Amino acid sequence: MTAATYTIVGGDYEHGGAASRALKEQLKKVGADPAVVRRAMIAAYEAEMNVVIHAERGELRAELQSGQLDVEVVDEGPGIPDVEQAMRPGYSTASATARELGFGAGMGLPNIKKNSDQFAIESAVGRGTRVRFTILLKPQSLYGAGRHSLHIVAERCKQSLHCVRACPTRAVRVFRGRPEVLDYLCIDCTACIAACPTATLVMKGTVDVLPPAGDFVLVVTPESLVQFGAGVTPARVLSELGALGWRDVRTTADWDAALRAAVIDYAWAEAAARPVISPACPAVVNLIEMRFPSLIPQLAPFESAITALATDLRGQRAAFVVSCPCQRTALLAGEAEPKPELILPAALRAAVRPRVRSNTSSAGSPPAANGVPKTPGNQILRVTGVRHVLGVLEAIEDGLAGDVRAVEPWACDAGCFGSPLLAEDPYLARQRWVPPAGAPAAAQAIRRRRPFEPRKGLRLDSDMGKAIQKLAKIDKMTRALPGGDCAICGAPTCAALAEDIVLGRATPDACVRRPAGGATAPTTGSAPDQEKGP
Amino acid sequence: MRIDELARRVGAQVLVPGRNINIDPEQVYAGDRISDLLNAAGDHALLVTNLASTHLMRVAELMDIPGICLVNGQIPDEAMRQAAAEHGTLLMASPLGLFQTCGRIFQTLHEESRPAS
Repeated sequence: MTAATYTIVGGDYEHGGAASRALKEQLKKVGADPAVVRRAMIAAYEAEMNVVIHAERGELRAELQSGQLDVEVVDEGPGIPDVEQAMRPGYSTASATARELGFGAGMGLPNIKKNSDQFAIESAVGRGTRVRFTILLKPQSLYGAGRHSLHIVAERCKQSLHCVRACPTRAVRVFRGRPEVLDYLCIDCTACIAACPTATLVMKGTVDVLPPAGDFVLVVTPESLVQFGAGVTPARVLSELGALGWRDVRTTADWDAALRAAVIDYAWAEAAARPVISPACPAVVNLIEMRFPSLIPQLAPFESAITALATDLRGQRAAFVVSCPCQRTALLAGEAEPKPELILPAALRAAVRPRVRSNTSSAGSPPAANGVPKTPGNQILRVTGVRHVLGVLEAIEDGLAGDVRAVEPWACDAGCFGSPLLAEDPYLARQRWVPPAGAPAAAQAIRRRRPFEPRKGLRLDSDMGKAIQKLAKIDKMTRALPGGDCAICGAPTCAALAEDIVLGRATPDACVRRPAGGATAPTTGSAPDQEKGP
Repeated sequence: MRIDELARRVGAQVLVPGRNINIDPEQVYAGDRISDLLNAAGDHALLVTNLASTHLMRVAELMDIPGICLVNGQIPDEAMRQAAAEHGTLLMASPLGLFQTCGRIFQTLHEESRPAS
């Protein structure tokens, strides 16, 4: 724990912000997440400037202890006669001088509240004001929170550790009996969801009932339309959905096709680096940004099909049936307004199943024979399943795939049909997918405006010297561990556990196979933070 | 698009070079109130403002904002330049008003939607 007190002088605009700056240095030293630092800075600067603007003098006291930052800003000033009024956005009593400098927007206190996890204010007229706020830190991640759509229902965990072993980027840990996802490693694929036998890992923030039909355009993916057994065609499901009274029902199928066509065009006409990699699956894009930054120039510069369709529906209320976490993340990150409603495939199944039940017993029959179907040729190599995607990306990175012009990698088996949130077997479902006939929608691929960017990974310490020391400790620790990668400790490999121990996420006794009295753990210098999952 | 390239295209003069990184088209904010700018901040952000003050530079420093564009031909004083240079904030000045400057920035960033690679 560290504590510090900084003096703030009322009316001293020139040095206003000095306390916040000192606090920022502290936060950087402990390796706080930049998103957390940003929130802390907004709150601290607003509180500090309130003292400068309104009071004679004051103090900012900051206390850093395991997992949280507590700040108290106390002043000797006029006090606030009506705190409720002062909390209202836009209300300000700042002087003309302050306003000229850009202060006095009446957003100070609301800003502090908005950016902190706990907030309290006390004020006495003629005596002064005390503002306290707390911000929870997430020490290990330098990657913005909320970029994946996994949710952990910790009480369901039976510690099978399947998720730890299944994660292709080694982002999952199960310490202290609960799973934890390291944000900076998670690529938002479905591997852990698929592996978990107790549904501890689920998709975040989706609803399992359909919204009122009349108000919304419903968007469904091909994979969600083939979840009703052999006898129920996608066209049938679409017509049943149409009968429910949606303003419109759209599928992403045309948009998938438009994206594929655009990527193929791009690969033949425009691309400098080959093979071109399709950005169709957002989880694969995350994987490339994190683990294969050298392949970023090979990503075709387009938005995913679901983002393109969401952009097309801008201004309309839309409800998307999302098959996997990365579709959800893509929709929430998109610029479509209003934000679409996000619905679990199970909700669609529940709504449609009663209407098609009579048909589910029928075995169905293969489509009428109109000769052998034409294959699309070798224009684009489709790779599905995260293991194979990793293999192909590695081959591309090593220059072993020069014969391939364009690749379309999907994290789930059989593409989106393999999402564990769906019910039917991926391959049966894909076989049953037939694009419904009808007027072709004006689907198109959309060029990205933001370039793909390598993901900032873990920085061991913001101080380079300390980071190097930590790296050495991790090395030493790794050698001290058995090296069997049994994962019983809750970390996927011995090297991962070594890193966790040095960074304070786990304790050395986590390893159950370490020879007693054998290799001793290098100490981390301070007691490890008992960081709880998000 | 990198900030200096953006400055060149919108006709703004770079007064203090800084971390010359790509600006995220979704992180360009205009405003004259510190609270708004504080809230808008991001590490790929550009702030477009009339506020030629050292407080603005303090905000840029606290929030890791890589670029500031002053409008209406305002020339920052020495203290402001020095603060910018210290923290690696790129400081540019546009001869146009807030509205016109933003218009040009918008047009430039959104026409240039294709990534360089």
